[in-house]
Amino acid sequence: MHQNVTITRRTLLAATAMITLAVAGPAVAQDKPLAGKVVGVTVIGTDHHWDLMAYQGQIDQLEELGAEVIALDAGRNDQTQISQIQTLIAQQPDAIIEQLGNLDVLNPWLERITQAGIPLFTVDTATPFAINNTTSNNYNIGAELALQIVQDMGGAGKVAVFNGFYSVPVCKIRYDQLMYVLQSFPSIEVIQPELRDVIPNTVQQAYSDATDILTQYGPDSGLKAFWACWDVPMMGATQAIEAAGRTDVRTYGVDGSPEYVEMVANPDSQAGAVAAQQPYEIGKQAALNVAAYLTGQPVPPFSFVPAVLINKENAGELAADFLPKQ
Amino acid sequence: MSALSNVKGPKSTRAGSKTLAKLAIRLGAFVAFAGILVYFAMTARGFTSPYNLMTVVEQSAILGLLAFGMTIVFAGTGTDVQRGGIDLSLAANAGLCAAVYAVMMREGYGNGLAIPAALITGMVVGLLNGIAVVSLRIIPLLGTLAVMNIAAGLELTLTENTVVSVSTPLMQVIAFGKFMGISTLAWCLIVVSMLLVWVMHFHRIGMRVYAVGGHHEAARAAGIDTGRYIYGAYIFAGFLAGVTSILIVSRLSSSTPGTGLMLLPILAAALLGTVFSRRFIPTIGGTLLAALFIGFLANGFQLLGISSYWVAGVQGALILLVVAVTSFAKNN
Repeated sequence: MHQNVTITRRTLLAATAMITLAVAGPAVAQDKPLAGKVVGVTVIGTDHHWDLMAYQGQIDQLEELGAEVIALDAGRNDQTQISQIQTLIAQQPDAIIEQLGNLDVLNPWLERITQAGIPLFTVDTATPFAINNTTSNNYNIGAELALQIVQDMGGAGKVAVFNGFYSVPVCKIRYDQLMYVLQSFPSIEVIQPELRDVIPNTVQQAYSDATDILTQYGPDSGLKAFWACWDVPMMGATQAIEAAGRTDVRTYGVDGSPEYVEMVANPDSQAGAVAAQQPYEIGKQAALNVAAYLTGQPVPPFSFVPAVLINKENAGELAADFLPKQ
Repeated sequence: MSALSNVKGPKSTRAGSKTLAKLAIRLGAFVAFAGILVYFAMTARGFTSPYNLMTVVEQSAILGLLAFGMTIVFAGTGTDVQRGGIDLSLAANAGLCAAVYAVMMREGYGNGLAIPAALITGMVVGLLNGIAVVSLRIIPLLGTLAVMNIAAGLELTLTENTVVSVSTPLMQVIAFGKFMGISTLAWCLIVVSMLLVWVMHFHRIGMRVYAVGGHHEAARAAGIDTGRYIYGAYIFAGFLAGVTSILIVSRLSSSTPGTGLMLLPILAAALLGTVFSRRFIPTIGGTLLAALFIGFLANGFQLLGISSYWVAGVQGALILLVVAVTSFAKNN
């Protein structure tokens, strides 16, 4: 098990190095390479810290590069986002960046963007219709977090999984990676049926679902972990564990929302670890890719922006950058 | 119609200033509509391009069809929208029908069973509204609110609050098909509008629905089985929710949570539509204009980079304004 972790860490380091090179690759020479260009940005919602940061990163960078930005926030409504994509197509912008949402809903419309001859870039959304997808390396994030759980659990016990967003590509990858890692540890059991995280009322719902699970699986049950593909539900789960007075169960999430990082950094909290991403940098990188493409430079099919696994041991050293701004 | 005009007859003698006020409001509504369109045309990039205009008509199809359902409920339960009936369950009903359709398709039943199942679901929810309002005499605001919760709960139970994806050739045609340069969704809006204008304004059934809504007692005295017509209005609204659900699933390639949020725009369209009619009553044509107006408003806001959150606020403000203005004109 330990060996496994080390190998993955080493691979991650190597990958990070390569990524940094890839990210640094399409540097843009001119001062305002996007002057006179119109770029559309469509995002499913900005109610979550990650979403807002990535969205803002795109807009700030695009404007800095001289582009006119049409930025549309669908307020977490699929119908609205489809309408907004249609409206963007009607505008015939020089490029469109799409961020998150349900891939099954989006794909036919992303195809329409490509068919209309508009270059499509995505943030955190793997689709065959995009020229480039800028994201964290979710394969690594998923595996790293899974291995952290295995390590903290001592290779045995029960884990409760929130799986409400399997149709969101990054969640699918992280979930699949978790299950792939757990295959090697047959003493770890995933509680069935799985839980469903929701939007909105994420924290409240997770609190109530986690409370039910904690009641059902008492201190001797072997329940040791809650997992979700992001960290907002884990805030609710952590509070539920602490309210139940349990110290045998920890939570694990992804994204690096400041409030959750704060919990992980707090030695008294039951928040175990978080894969903290750099959403603002991801947004900026997507904008740089648009600039590179529109000035005729080669753009790779995906750009990875490094993420950091913050756990109880390394939080003192790594959490500072991700904590709430005072 | 004769029942209706008899009822309204005596009132219309002291019309003078009242007629003038009504005319001013109607003209004002048209001028405001035109004014906002002209403003968008001058300021919003690409607003007047044919592709954009067609997009708005297409985007208005789903809202329009559901708003027609609300219009018919308004017409049948009290043309004075403040004192008459309402169907708060309409949007949630469409969400439930969409879930029924998508889940049945996922389970492999095929369009032949899934489409009728969605339509029947919609009509059953409409029937529930009828039972609550007509048979149990619960005030419509509460009765349909309860039914809305039932529908929303059933939708969540069916889909477990997840996205249920479906893809069929028929859905492709509905979402992306074109005929004579006009998209399928736009055709749906055009054809259903024409049919409903005929039924509601030129056919006996529609006249009677208006008679029942216009003056319940008079309609009953004239020998109309009013309860049956109110039941009918709710069930037909449910049927329209079923039809619309197929369009929603086609457009999104899935049933997704959140259809219930359409209630506010539906109400806004059906209420705003009354301003475009001569006697401030709900009409199909008025609702069509209002649905397009709301579509253009959302589109214009998007093009001008104004947050979509404002659209909800503006819809709420429109409802207040319309209800205030029409009740002022009626009581003047």
